[in-house]
Amino acid sequence: MDLAIRDLKLHKGRFLATIIGVGMLFTIVLTMNGIYRGNISDGIAIIAHTGPDLWVVERDRGGPFNEQSSMSEFFHYSVAAVPGVQKASPFIYYPVERQIKGESRRFSIIGYDVFGGMGGPRQLTQGRAINQAHYEMVAHAKLGLKLGDQVPLGLHTFTVVGLTREAVATDGEALVYLSLADAQEILFQRDNEAIRNQRLRLRHSLTQEGLSPAQADKLLPAVQPDTHLVNAILVQLAPGANPAQVAKHIEDWLYFSVFTTAQEIQLVIRGRLARMSSQLLFFRVLLLIVSAVIISLVIYTFTMEKIRSIAVMKLIGAPNLVIVRMIMEQSLFMTLSSFLLGLLIIHSIVHLFPRKILLLPPDTLLTFAVALLGGIIASVLGIWQVLKTEPAMALGGQ
Amino acid sequence: MAVLEITGLTKIFGSGRLEVRALDKVSLAIQAGELAALMGPSGSGKTTLLLCISLILEPTAGSVVFDGETIYQDGWTGLDVRRRRREKIGFVFQAANLIPFLTARENVLFPLNLVGLDKKAAERRVRELLDYMEIAERSHYLPALLSGGEQQRVAIARALANRPKLILADEPTASLDTARGQKVMEMLKKIARENQTAVITVTHDARMIEGFDQIYHLEDGRLKNQV
Ligand SMILES: Nc1ncnc2c1ncn2[C@@H]1O[C@H](COP(=O)(O)OP(=O)(O)O)[C@@H](O)[C@H]1O
Ligand SMILES: [Mg+2]
Repeated sequence: MDLAIRDLKLHKGRFLATIIGVGMLFTIVLTMNGIYRGNISDGIAIIAHTGPDLWVVERDRGGPFNEQSSMSEFFHYSVAAVPGVQKASPFIYYPVERQIKGESRRFSIIGYDVFGGMGGPRQLTQGRAINQAHYEMVAHAKLGLKLGDQVPLGLHTFTVVGLTREAVATDGEALVYLSLADAQEILFQRDNEAIRNQRLRLRHSLTQEGLSPAQADKLLPAVQPDTHLVNAILVQLAPGANPAQVAKHIEDWLYFSVFTTAQEIQLVIRGRLARMSSQLLFFRVLLLIVSAVIISLVIYTFTMEKIRSIAVMKLIGAPNLVIVRMIMEQSLFMTLSSFLLGLLIIHSIVHLFPRKILLLPPDTLLTFAVALLGGIIASVLGIWQVLKTEPAMALGGQ
Repeated sequence: MAVLEITGLTKIFGSGRLEVRALDKVSLAIQAGELAALMGPSGSGKTTLLLCISLILEPTAGSVVFDGETIYQDGWTGLDVRRRRREKIGFVFQAANLIPFLTARENVLFPLNLVGLDKKAAERRVRELLDYMEIAERSHYLPALLSGGEQQRVAIARALANRPKLILADEPTASLDTARGQKVMEMLKKIARENQTAVITVTHDARMIEGFDQIYHLEDGRLKNQV
C-alpha cells in the first residue's frame, strides 16, 4: 500500500494542475537546452564543414566568423608557397539581407574558388556544384529556391544549379555559395554614381597634395580601392606536415594570424556564443528554482492538509521514516511526472521552432538530475512539518 | 498481573503563574480484560491522563509500568515508546480519525504493515476484524463515504489490529447518536471480554457505562471516590 500515491489520488485535480504547470516549466528548460545546443551547432557548422587544416586570417583578428577579417586575395599564392602547404584557397564569408522572390531574406554568402578550391559545398541534395566562373549559385534548401530559379543579386541574375543542407551560417540562417569573383562583385560593387563620387574625392585629395590635374588623373587608377579582397585563406597541409610549424611559418613570414579548425571553433564558442550560453544557463537555473519552489509549496499544502492524519500515524506508532518517505515520494513523483510531461511536450513540438533545437540525451539527463535534486529539496519544508507534528494533536476533539 | 500500573502520576503544564497541574498524583491499575471508564468534567485532565498512559506525553513525576516494563520513573527509562504503542496499544478517538486517503480495509491494514506482518496473514486479520466489527461489506470505501458510526467501527478494528494489551478510547461516542454510541460501547465490552484486552474509555455519558468493571472520576487532576 503506497501512502504517497493514495493521497495524490484523492487530490487528482490539484496534482494534475501542478504537473501541467511544472511540466511546462520543464518544457521551457529543455527547450533552452536545445536552443543552446542548437546555437552552438549552427554557430560552428560552417567552420566544421569547411574544415580546412588551417585558417589564415587578418593579423590579430579572430576572423572571419568571430570578427571581421580582410586580406588581399592574391596572398593565397604566398601562402601556397609556404613549406608544408599543399593547397591554399581564397574564401569569402559575409552576411547580407537581400530580396529573394520578393521577400527580404537574411543569409550569408560564401565565395570560393569554384575550380578546385576549398570552401565549397560537399554534399548536395539536388543539382550540381558551380562549374562556371559566373552567375551560378548553390543555395541552402532553407531559402525555398528550386533548381533553375533565377535570383537577381547586385547587378546580375544568378541561376540556382544546386541545393544543399550541409551547413548553415553562424547565425543559423541559410548559406548561398557563389564563385569568388561573383561574391566580390556583390560585396564591393558600387553603382556608377558612387564610383564617380569616389573618383572626384580622390582627385581632389591628390590635387590638394600639389599634383597637377593631369598628374592626378594619371595616378587615379592606381589609388582606387582594392576590390580583390577575401576574408580568409583556407590551407590544406601536405601529408605529414606539422600544423603548428606551418602556422608559425605563415604568421612570421606573411603577417597573418593562423588557426586550426578546432581553434577557429573555440574562438566562436568563447566569443560570439559565450554570452548567449551564460544567459541561457542563468535562465535555466532560475526556471529550475521556480519549479522546485512550486513543488515545495504544493507539497507543503498537501502536508498541512493531512497534518491530523500524520499525528494519528505517529500516535498509533508509525516510525517517522514511514511518514517522511510518504512526503519525499510525493515530491519526487510530482517532479518525475512533470519532467516526463515536459519531455513529452518538447519532443512533440520541437519541429515547430524556426531555429534549430538540438536535444542531447546527456543534457536531458543532467536536467533530470537537477530536477530530482530540486524535488528532494522541495520536500524539506513538508518533512520539517512532519517532524514537528505532535502525536497528541490526534487526541481530543476536532 | 496488571497490564498497566501508574503510581503518583503528576503532570504540570507551564510554570510560575501560568502553572496548570493537569494531573495530581494519580494512581491506578488495570488488569487484562478489565473495562474501565474515566469520567469527569471538561478540563479535569482526562485526555492528559490518556496521553501520559499512552506514552505520548511525558509526565512530570510518578511512574508508569506497562506490560511488565517500567516505561517512566521520574523520567523516560529509554524504551522505544513508539514501538510499544504500535505493538501493544490501540487508540480510539472522539472523531474516528481514519486516514482519509486510505479505504476502510487499508486503514486497518496500516498498523499491521507497521509491525511487518506478512501479506497473507495481514489480509486474513483485516477480514476477520472487519467481520467482527460488522463492517466487512463497506471495506473498500474511503472514510468520507462511511457514516460516523461505521467510521468509528473501522477505527476500533484498526485499534484492535495488532491484538493490543490495552485499548485507550477518548470519548469514542461523543460524536455519535445514542443508538450508535451504544453499539460502539457494546463493541468495546465485547473486545474486553473476548480478547482479554484492557480497555480504558473516557466518557461523559453515564448511560454508556453499564457493566463496566471500574469507573474513575477525575476532578482538577485528582482521582475521586473510585467505584
Ligand atoms: N498542552 C497543554 N498545555 C497547557 N495546558 C494544557 C495542555 N493540555 C491540557 N492542558 C490543561 O490541562 C488541563 C486538563 O486538560 P485535559 O486533559 O484536556 O482535560 P479533559 O480532557 O478532561 O477535558 C486543562 O486545564 C487544560 O487547559
Ligand atoms: Mg479531553
